[in-house]
Amino acid sequence: MLLSLLILIPLFSVLVLNLPPLLRRAKVSFYCALCFTLAQIALVFFCVFNPQSIVVNPFGSLLELDLSADSISFVVLLSIGITGFITLLVAKYFICEQQNEHNFVSVLFLALAGLNGIVLTSDIFTLYVFLEIAAAASFVLIVINRKKNALEAAFKYIVLSILATTMMLSSIALFLFIAGNTHFASIRAAFNYSSHDFLLILASGLFICGAFIKAGVVPFHGWLPEAYSESPAPVTVFLAGIVTKTLGIYTLIRIVNSVFGFLPAINNLLLFAGAVTITLGALGALAQNDFKRILAYSSISQIGYIVLALGSGTALGLSAALFHFFNHSIFKALLFVNSAATEAQTKTRNVEAMGGLQAKMPATAFTSVIASLSAAGVPPLAGFWSKLMIVIALVASGHPLYALVAVLASVLTLAYLLSLQRRVFFGTLNADCAQVVEARAGLVFAAVLLALITVGAGVFFPFVLNTFILPIEKIFAG
Amino acid sequence: MNIMLFLPIIVPFVSGGVVLLVPNRLPVLQKAITIVATALNLALAIFLFKQNVSCSLPWIGFGIDFALRVYHFSAFIILACSCFGFLIAIYSSFFIQKNFRANQFFSYFLITIAFTNGAVLADNLLLMFFFWEGLLLVLFGMIALGRPGAFKTAMKAFIIVAITDLCMMIGIAIVSRLSGTFIISKINLPPSAAGSVAFVLLAIGAISKAGSMPFHSWIPDAALDAPLLFVAFVPAALEKLLGIYFLARISLDMFQLSAHSFLNTSLMVIGSVTILLAVMMALIQKNYKKLLAYHAVSQVGYMILGIGTAVPAGIIGGLFHMVNNAIYKSGLFLTAGSVERQTGTTDLEELGGLGRKMPITFICFLIAAASISGVPPFNGFFSKELVYEGALKRGFLFYAIAATGSFFTAASFLKLGHAAFLGKVPPKYEHTKEAPLAMLIPMAIIAFFCVFFGLCNSFALQKLIQPVLHQANFHAAEFEGFKVNAKLTAVTLIILFAALANHFFGFRMRGKAIAAADHIHHAPVLSFFYAKAQEKWFDPYDIGLRIVNMAAGFAFRVDRAIDWLYEILIVKVTGFFSGTMKRLHTGNYGTYLFWSLIGLAFVIIFLSRSL
Amino acid sequence: MIVNSILLIALLCVALWAVMTRSLLRSAIALAIVSAVLTMLMFRLHSPLAAVFELSVCAGLIPVVFVSAITLTQPLSTKEVLQHMRERLTRFWYLPFIIVSSGIIFTFIHLSSKMPLPGAEVDKDVRILLWNIRPLDLIGQILILLIGAFGILIIFKEKKENE
Repeated sequence: MLLSLLILIPLFSVLVLNLPPLLRRAKVSFYCALCFTLAQIALVFFCVFNPQSIVVNPFGSLLELDLSADSISFVVLLSIGITGFITLLVAKYFICEQQNEHNFVSVLFLALAGLNGIVLTSDIFTLYVFLEIAAAASFVLIVINRKKNALEAAFKYIVLSILATTMMLSSIALFLFIAGNTHFASIRAAFNYSSHDFLLILASGLFICGAFIKAGVVPFHGWLPEAYSESPAPVTVFLAGIVTKTLGIYTLIRIVNSVFGFLPAINNLLLFAGAVTITLGALGALAQNDFKRILAYSSISQIGYIVLALGSGTALGLSAALFHFFNHSIFKALLFVNSAATEAQTKTRNVEAMGGLQAKMPATAFTSVIASLSAAGVPPLAGFWSKLMIVIALVASGHPLYALVAVLASVLTLAYLLSLQRRVFFGTLNADCAQVVEARAGLVFAAVLLALITVGAGVFFPFVLNTFILPIEKIFAG
Repeated sequence: MNIMLFLPIIVPFVSGGVVLLVPNRLPVLQKAITIVATALNLALAIFLFKQNVSCSLPWIGFGIDFALRVYHFSAFIILACSCFGFLIAIYSSFFIQKNFRANQFFSYFLITIAFTNGAVLADNLLLMFFFWEGLLLVLFGMIALGRPGAFKTAMKAFIIVAITDLCMMIGIAIVSRLSGTFIISKINLPPSAAGSVAFVLLAIGAISKAGSMPFHSWIPDAALDAPLLFVAFVPAALEKLLGIYFLARISLDMFQLSAHSFLNTSLMVIGSVTILLAVMMALIQKNYKKLLAYHAVSQVGYMILGIGTAVPAGIIGGLFHMVNNAIYKSGLFLTAGSVERQTGTTDLEELGGLGRKMPITFICFLIAAASISGVPPFNGFFSKELVYEGALKRGFLFYAIAATGSFFTAASFLKLGHAAFLGKVPPKYEHTKEAPLAMLIPMAIIAFFCVFFGLCNSFALQKLIQPVLHQANFHAAEFEGFKVNAKLTAVTLIILFAALANHFFGFRMRGKAIAAADHIHHAPVLSFFYAKAQEKWFDPYDIGLRIVNMAAGFAFRVDRAIDWLYEILIVKVTGFFSGTMKRLHTGNYGTYLFWSLIGLAFVIIFLSRSL
Repeated sequence: MIVNSILLIALLCVALWAVMTRSLLRSAIALAIVSAVLTMLMFRLHSPLAAVFELSVCAGLIPVVFVSAITLTQPLSTKEVLQHMRERLTRFWYLPFIIVSSGIIFTFIHLSSKMPLPGAEVDKDVRILLWNIRPLDLIGQILILLIGAFGILIIFKEKKENE
């Protein structure tokens, strides 16, 4: 199918870019990657508007890959493209040496291939393989600048990731045992006919827990704050923007929708885990003083929203989850770009050491306010619509208490994000920041671009709804 | 073709945005953009006039489209609005003083035009409400641009209008529920209990936009605090047109009201009360602009009364009065603007004898004042006569109140004209000059229309008003020319003479033009009410504020108690939890692993319970 | 059955040793042994294809990578070795318990399937089999190898230069 290009082009590019004539040409590989992310965005739009073109196989009978794409995949592929693009823009200023920049781009290519593979596959073992690719690539990305703290964070990430891998592999083994095959459809059939009730539950539980670790759902989130805050700025954008979400949340959504089906027990589990994650993530964010750490806890909390929406077990909940997925990857990437900008200019991540930066860095401050408001669900920004959809889905599926949690937690969200804004950008100018100037043009461009997407997706919500979100309801497998 | 319908909204809105970006160092550019934009808008309005088109773009979904429709009525209102917009834009080219946030003003001004056009053209209730609310925001901004204390007035206007807009929103919800559609041209509701409620709510929105009592109280305040151009344009012309337009739409098209229904009668009561009370307040004002502002309120009463009568003469009179009022009232405010610019004050105590110094302004004032007082053959006379005729058909009391209002109107304008333009020139205004040409031209054009719509009233009625009522099967032609009721005309003339006599009586008694109405002011019973009214006892907003203050005092005590609770409950508890979260994250991966395994165990147990 | 059990227990013991031992090199060797034992188990359980892969990749290739990476590191000082030896017993005290308890849990799960697993078609060429049935996984393997190469390049190369 046409979208197999999204896996093969990165692989091919990495091979070609590391051939002798192009080796160590960081600029070439950088622009190649930039073009690829743009091409991915374009391809997704092309496929959304020309659904019949998806099945075209560019390689003929030479290579037939068992891939499939639906509306869920499109949303995620689009997020991957956008976040990848932004990551590259940010990376320009944060990767120290040229050779490292070349390596960074190569590993990023591999990570993109892994992410795209996760999204496009319809076989649970292949899914696992690509999960590992993306995870391994992100370990390497975290330590790209060889800082001690980053190594430590990456190590914790690896340890917990291995636990997740173990769980997923055991689960896949059980599924293979029960269904005799690892294709989604066969396992789904096994859920209807098999007599191994307990094994199925065990396998589902293991897989869900694996996905929870990858996504950073409380209490599986221990690695996340450190990994986010200690990795270099572009990697944080990439990790927070798309990696953990695809690895954890997309996998969860895909498996629940295509394999498990929305069983009542799984729904209740997701609802509970979502509510706990939202609340504890937000509480964790309140107590932090480190810009990136606040955002990391906020990520945990927002991921809870997606899990909660999925747990409503309705078509609307599914599409709300996906829309929040997209929104979150945009506004969280934006916030991390802002944190990168302030960190680059003030050389600190401690919010107490900042203050009044709004006068010095107006564009950063303004875009960050937009992102915060979108995160807190203030109309007419995109975050408002997805939260509204989540709350409606919860109420409609008969879970008003969880809807209440979602609404109350969004007050907490507003509280910690506004207090962050106040401490960093508003108030009196900190004496240490008197010499600060606006961030580099590339960072400002990235921030403004993301802010425009956030505002645009909110204002043109009907278009987004009709093109991307509503088709998801059709593939809901209740 | 259909795209043309969007231009009256887009053109002013975009140019409004552009003006906002022009720095105040370049006033010429700002003014040029404003004048060009309003001229374009006027051209568009002329082009759209007599067209009957509608178009619709998908918008929010759920049956809410970006639907616009132009037909006789809306085209006519748009034309009137854009005429005023253009004239005010020309006038403003000299009036805007220095140290004024002119870019904001012009931007709000253009956006106001855009939103008004949008609200008039909208064929979808929600779309209309969208623009209607937008107007509220711009209104707030424009008032707040005025002199230093204006923010408070802006807040007052905002709260009053926002409350009535809220009523309107509920009304829209009920209407859409009853009729199952948001499309205005498809709504035709029979009278029912819910329908009546909806009508009342929508009418509250409409008449508060028009500035009727009891939603008027921000207008006199704004007359002093807000920029004069704003007052001349928005409350004097634009909001009257918009409010009465919407009132006419709901009472003629959207609801099937019978002539003698309770709703119509209550409209008439509101109209006549507004006429009388507002004009009596106007009579005792000692400030040029504030006096005009109370008249702006009072004149709305005639329109509401006219439309409320539900007889052809009344409705036509009401609509005709709407146009006429917009003309002469903005004209009067513009004369106030000239006086303020040339002398620096609008306090009638200080002014005097300006008629010789500013002859053209004086003439324009005379014509507009004669119009508003209903002197034949100016335009105000004809529309008032039609309203009288309609009112008389529904009850003598309404007619009597309207006629009394006319008496006080004439009396207050005699006082105003006498005090400002006649008499001795105070020494400090000895060297006052006539206003610049660009300010005179709009005034002159307006004065010309006062005369033209009076003498050629058949033109106005046939070409402008009659097409509006086409579907209501009224024939405006019956009321043109001097074929108005001779008896009523005679009464009107008697009233006018009585007002003149009253003025000379008062002038003789007190010896000062400005005190010519003081014998009414200090009349036995009236003086008490006047005193209380000056203390704002009857201002619903201030009553509301007082109630709110009292409630707030009570709430404060409750609040202390709750606050204490929150200090403990929310802050401490939240702090405790987030602190605990922080302490738990020790950074030891063994701990994290342990959590994950515990989590796994919980998940498995939880899921297996469902077996 | 008895042989299988013995192999399993041996597997666990070697795995424990891999974690507990003080030298990285010994850990790597222990891992290779784990893979070798696993291979034997797989042969006994009639999955020769998996066994061959396990032997070639996990027991052959990966230890080579490990050992080459370990040679790039700095050896511990005597004092640190003593410290490490003291700590490792306290640090991993729970591992045997976890292993034993999970073994007990697994005995309660009856994995008795009537459905025959799809046996690998041993008679066909492995390469063709893989290419036709699971090309994506193959691509995935290539990607993983590339990432590993870049990881070593990034983490270790510079360190060596610093020394």
